[in-house]
Amino acid sequence: MAGLPRRIIKETQRLMAEPVPGISAVPDEQNARYFHVVVAGPEGSPFEGGVFKLELFLPEEYPMSAPKVRFMTKIYHPNIDKLGRICLDILKDKWSPALQIRTVLLSIQALLSAPNPDDPLANDVAELWKVNEAEAIRNAREWTRTYAMGNI
Amino acid sequence: MGQCLCCDEKDGELPSLSVPPPETASLPSPLQPNISVDRDRSFPSHVIPASEASHLRRMLPHIDSLVLQTLAVIGNLVENDQETPPSMLRLQALSNKGHGWLLVLHSMVNVIPINEPLGPAVITLVLDDCALPAKDSITKVPRMFWLSAKASKRGRSDPNRHRNICIALGCIAEKLAGPTSVALLTDSTLDYLIANLDPLHHPSVVLFSLIALEKFAQTSENKIALNKRFHQESQHPLLVLEKWKLADDYMKRQVGFCSEWCLDNLFVSEGRPFTYERTDTSAINVMLNSQDVSEYLKIAANGLEARCDASSFESVRCTYQADAGIWYYEALIVTPGIMQIGWATKSSKFLNYEGYGIGDDEYSIAYDGCRNLIWYEAESIPHTLQQWKPGDILGCLLNIDREEVIFSLNGVALAPNSQLFKSAKSGFFAAASFMSFQQCEFNFGSKPFHFAPSGIVVCAFNDHALLTPEQKIILPRSKKLEQLRLTNIHEDSCSLCCDAPAVITLLPCRHQGYCSGCARQLESCPLCRSSIQERAVLSS
Repeated sequence: MAGLPRRIIKETQRLMAEPVPGISAVPDEQNARYFHVVVAGPEGSPFEGGVFKLELFLPEEYPMSAPKVRFMTKIYHPNIDKLGRICLDILKDKWSPALQIRTVLLSIQALLSAPNPDDPLANDVAELWKVNEAEAIRNAREWTRTYAMGNI
Repeated sequence: MGQCLCCDEKDGELPSLSVPPPETASLPSPLQPNISVDRDRSFPSHVIPASEASHLRRMLPHIDSLVLQTLAVIGNLVENDQETPPSMLRLQALSNKGHGWLLVLHSMVNVIPINEPLGPAVITLVLDDCALPAKDSITKVPRMFWLSAKASKRGRSDPNRHRNICIALGCIAEKLAGPTSVALLTDSTLDYLIANLDPLHHPSVVLFSLIALEKFAQTSENKIALNKRFHQESQHPLLVLEKWKLADDYMKRQVGFCSEWCLDNLFVSEGRPFTYERTDTSAINVMLNSQDVSEYLKIAANGLEARCDASSFESVRCTYQADAGIWYYEALIVTPGIMQIGWATKSSKFLNYEGYGIGDDEYSIAYDGCRNLIWYEAESIPHTLQQWKPGDILGCLLNIDREEVIFSLNGVALAPNSQLFKSAKSGFFAAASFMSFQQCEFNFGSKPFHFAPSGIVVCAFNDHALLTPEQKIILPRSKKLEQLRLTNIHEDSCSLCCDAPAVITLLPCRHQGYCSGCARQLESCPLCRSSIQERAVLSS
């Protein structure tokens, strides 16, 4: 813990004091830059009822560069690949230091409600999402049941 | 403690495969048939469903060879962004289907040899790069390896395999910290790991069991269970192992280091003073800087020995800065794996997660005695000295006046290297980076050097540096976190760093709330993204 920046201390304090509904983010006991995140699948989405684990890491340059976030629970989603990497503009070129851990996690929750197959990361999933959305949603429900229920 | 015959065998010798150990031969349960090394190592048909068994059984020799291929190529992977080797991609693909992940795990445990310095790193790397296992696969792990206190005893005759099991358990516990880690730490897993701490085990089994326990303890629920369990034992096992810190055997020395670190940081035992409270640092004037280190590096209370057990590439600088003259220090190599030890300025960045450390930018240079390379600017050139082994002494000489760095191993020196001085002329620190499970001890001159360079007068940091008694304290993590919680943040501070006062208004958008340091790093406004023409100082 190389002199933890106050910004991180402040965000952590606020995350603990006023958690975001449907999201929990807990700093690792040994590394205050590493957060164990749990996001509940949004209502009305094929991920509803699922509980998704993510890891979030604040790199040395944070907040000048974006947090690194990845799904640890398998998920069938056109913008999330097999290794849990997320295709989301604010995590890449659209990052702004005014964004926070809290806003990033809210965006990810929103991405679960509104998959975007036109900007895919998982090509096979995106393809199916475009040509046969009903089947894709069935798959997403099935994966949610298999990997994201009873895993917590 | 009950005795069994199989415990009398010497470490490292395989027992006869045809004779099952007597203690288990009479168990009739289908889950515990005649237990032998043979069964332990064979296809885990007891956890693989019949529908997949025949296919996967055929794959097993293939998976074994992919693991060995990966092990063979990993030492040659020197570029940080080099492509993943094909054998590793195949393993990833296999682990992604059905029970393939279990089989990849099983195979790694069986075939990775104990004397291969990169073995532990490969287990960690492969598990890290494979798609995540389903919970169902995780819950089968303890059963697949037949984990129990008895298995631990039996394991004394097969330290290779049991060391690998412990590495894998630790890696999964770390990767899946949280409920999955709790699910994996069943009573039998716990019995197994605690029994492995018996000093009669091969020290590498003890070491990696301890590291596995440390990783399980990253999840609070496990930590509570572990602490409770330790206190039920007649004697806290770590209090016994802690004494190995000064052992001549370098494997035991690692156990001692980790035990002490765990007792200070994780498994705090009542009545045992923290190591820093009873370490005499009066003769030590320079240390590894506990404020200038990446997150997971462990530093001993004397500030001179460091170790990494994380999967990241952890780095540290020393406390003293050299700006002119000729300087020398030595590092005692405790583990033979990948470390990059040398010199760095403050501009050198520790990007532990990206795998960048000392020698990976233009502000640092490092010696790597495992892959036999000199690193500068993330590029490497081979050198001709022997591969290092535990007990070797690396010498690092910095001649600022002549703009030269000279590395030596056990007194045999390489030719001078001047690359570092292309980008830096002063402000040098001793610095090092550590891959998983690597450890070394620095001597900045508080003890006599083993191989002081001849024919040249060198300075030692310890003769020139000074630290206050407060600066010499390397606080245990729990105490550090306590200090953090007490930190206050002023309301008028910069909205980006929350540290310096917010005095800047960005023009033309007029958004404000930034300090000058942060504002200088911005290209566009964090709020409206409009480009910045001026950073005006706000007068209030």
